[in-house]
Amino acid sequence: MQREIEDIFLNLGFRIEDGPEIETTYYNFDALNIPESHPSRDDWDTLYINSTIVLRTHTSPVQIRSMEKYGSPLHIIIPGKCYRHDNPDASHSPMFHQIEGLAIDRDITFADLKGTLDFFAKKLFGEKIRTRFQPSFFPFTEPSGEVSISCIFCGGEGCRVCKQSGWIEVMGCGMVHPQVLRNGGIDPEKYSGWAFGLGVDRFAMMKYDINDIQLFFQSDIRFLRQF
Amino acid sequence: MKISINWLKEFVDVASDPRQLKSDLTMIGLNTESFVQVGDDWVLDVEVTTNRPDCLSHYGVARELATLYRLPLKRVEVVVKEAGAPALAAATIEIADPDLCARYCGRVVQGVEVGPSPEWLVKRLEAVGQRSINNVADVTNYVLMELGHPLHAFDLSRLNQRKIIVRRAKPGEPLQTLDGVARTLNPENLVIADGERPVALAGVMGGQESAISSSTRSVLLESAWFEPVSIRRTSKSQGLHTEASHRFERGTDIEMAPLALDRTTVLIQELAGGEVLRGMIDVYPRPTHRQDLVLRRSEIVRILGAEVSWEDVERIFRGLGFQPERRGVEGWRVSPPTFRLDVSREIDLVEEVARHIGYDRLPARVRPVLPPVERDTTRDKSQTLSSLLVAMGYHEIITPSMVDPAESERFANCTPVVLANPLSQDASAMRTSAVPSMLRAIGWNLDRDLGDVKLFEFGKTYNMNSQGTPEERRVLMLGCTGHRRPASIYDNEANLDFFDLKGDVEAIMDAFELPNLNFEPSGAPYYEEGLSGRSSLQGAPVAVFGALRQDLGREYKLRQAVWMAEIDLERLLDFPQRSRKFEPFSKYPVVERDFSLVVPDAVPYSHVSAAIAGLALEEIRGFRAVDHFRGGAIPAQHYSLLLRVTFQSKAHTLTSEQVAALGAQLLAALEPLGISLRG
Repeated sequence: MQREIEDIFLNLGFRIEDGPEIETTYYNFDALNIPESHPSRDDWDTLYINSTIVLRTHTSPVQIRSMEKYGSPLHIIIPGKCYRHDNPDASHSPMFHQIEGLAIDRDITFADLKGTLDFFAKKLFGEKIRTRFQPSFFPFTEPSGEVSISCIFCGGEGCRVCKQSGWIEVMGCGMVHPQVLRNGGIDPEKYSGWAFGLGVDRFAMMKYDINDIQLFFQSDIRFLRQF
Repeated sequence: MKISINWLKEFVDVASDPRQLKSDLTMIGLNTESFVQVGDDWVLDVEVTTNRPDCLSHYGVARELATLYRLPLKRVEVVVKEAGAPALAAATIEIADPDLCARYCGRVVQGVEVGPSPEWLVKRLEAVGQRSINNVADVTNYVLMELGHPLHAFDLSRLNQRKIIVRRAKPGEPLQTLDGVARTLNPENLVIADGERPVALAGVMGGQESAISSSTRSVLLESAWFEPVSIRRTSKSQGLHTEASHRFERGTDIEMAPLALDRTTVLIQELAGGEVLRGMIDVYPRPTHRQDLVLRRSEIVRILGAEVSWEDVERIFRGLGFQPERRGVEGWRVSPPTFRLDVSREIDLVEEVARHIGYDRLPARVRPVLPPVERDTTRDKSQTLSSLLVAMGYHEIITPSMVDPAESERFANCTPVVLANPLSQDASAMRTSAVPSMLRAIGWNLDRDLGDVKLFEFGKTYNMNSQGTPEERRVLMLGCTGHRRPASIYDNEANLDFFDLKGDVEAIMDAFELPNLNFEPSGAPYYEEGLSGRSSLQGAPVAVFGALRQDLGREYKLRQAVWMAEIDLERLLDFPQRSRKFEPFSKYPVVERDFSLVVPDAVPYSHVSAAIAGLALEEIRGFRAVDHFRGGAIPAQHYSLLLRVTFQSKAHTLTSEQVAALGAQLLAALEPLGISLRG
């Protein structure tokens, strides 16, 4: 699954970047506009090593690290393990996988974000898939959005999986916040960018109709032989 | 936030179609998951993001809908009927910490009759998930849900010296809050105190002693603005999250304080009677002034990729309570309302425009970019390995990084990275070794009678270095158990053995161009003596492998032999993949000769092969060990090795003399190792 997603973006000219799983609170939160003093920090249930080191809660810290390393233009995709203080059940795992995409250049607009993610969803789930963008909030992007795809099970008619809505929420996205660009050493007056993040495990569960996320981490050969 | 459609209708003339409202609210960023029918009303479950405290109220949601549907938003108009003495004569209010409390408004209502609330009020509150308490407390909750401003009612007669002081708590000061918990406060906590002691945890929860009761006659109403960060700290340190703290920590509207107070006052008088004393006490030391923002038309285009008309931009802002003022052809000067503390930059204004134009109405385009010139080969190499392993019958697994440190310790000698707030003891540190995870994975399968398992994991190990900095290393872990070949009509069954594992490790190494790779016996202490080994590169091991020690196997309840290999990817992936090049083959015949050798026990086969390879004779095309045995005519501490060597020249057919000469060279190279031809 991860490779499939990576390949779509590699074909669009993106490069793969990697970063540490044990992160500083600066890269995981502060540089991404999530100060300790703001309730938005509570949106991430965090596993701490100490007050300044955490297990990264998302792959977004690599955005800042890559901006610092390469500057602009930048077109990267960031796969990796992430961690949250979540008790394991059928849809939660304290360890999970994310893929994040980031594009920074002159003349990058919301239209590029919409177009690219629509292209991506069609490549991954088929040409008939439609995408829908709705406003949301993430401290590190603005404007921020959630992307839904037309339900891959009922085609948008409404079923159990999409809770009769015809849509399934699949990822968060947005235009990179000017302060985040500045934190990464990039001039937000000259450059703009978009970013998205998605849960690979959830995507795989959806695509292969897997009902329990724990199956990914149990190493049961009966599960593994099916892929 | 639960939103009642009937309640919304008091402010904006929306249609009672919950399905449509659900979809429309979602499309302007107020994600609505579901709705339920409650009597003649519908209640929507609206998810309000942390940046939008203004929408934690019916009025705020109504404002969004009014803007979307281009409908008027009704104003909240309140006329308070005052009488009797001035409120200031009945109570005094003082802010000792204006940094943490920027405004405190109060009113006094005397002669109230505290009792149950009327049915309409009980129903409204229940519809949005609030329990009815008494008419006075219910009104404060009602206004909270309606206007989003938290209020509090004190029994004025319980306040010493009829006085309110907003100050930091003194170390160790006690307060029993309304939830019945006796709390010990510290100076980080802002409190509402009377002349003597704290009577409420400011912005979080009131105190029990000054609470409204059936005997209450005089009420002091509080409508204040508290600094968000301070409320958040207090709420966290006291472990107390309330409807009030939820809003204050997100930022409430400082200009709403007096209006919400008046609305509450009027409703209390209506439901509980009494007399509102003259005048509002409004302590507001430094009235806030919000900075105007500049919005450039060009910035809208640069970020959204689309032009938006002047009229649409202005309509959206006016609807949302902003004041836009045109500045030539450039754009606008926009004054944001006090209830939108989240809007402080130009980009925030762009987002408001995008939200209300509708993301779906903005254009889309796809533009591939030029790929970077230098290609990152790490991923290619990992994929080569992964394909190779899959072809060898291995399955890829992913195991948890968080383990029990005591377990991990036995397999790696380094300091683990320990979690401060683990989910459980058996997931309280980052693993220092991938071995135990592999043992558990194999055990999981053996416990389910799945006896033939070959697994690999691309993962990381983690440790704290001597400077106290966390380090991460990429490893490839192999594990296998069971049959190499199950029994069939063609063949007997055969179990995996050391040479299968060693062969697999060699195949992995062989995918790379490695200089001077050495295989050595003895791997790690947790492997069986004599059934383990390692491959070293430039003097340091790159792979360690072997059979799990039997006593450990029993401990892990593994009923059969388990073979494992750990490969250090940090080192291996630094080397280039083996490049392939065609080598023309010889057209001359191959000559095969067997050499029956007597080898001292101390000389392993790897030394034999190294000595022959060291000759670098082009005519020696290949050699392999075909048999070995001990005893019989072989002297003690020696073994017999049958070595089959193939000779071939690229230039001519080898004569028997030439083959004999080559054989002599080979034996000469082996002689220093104490190896002789068997007599």
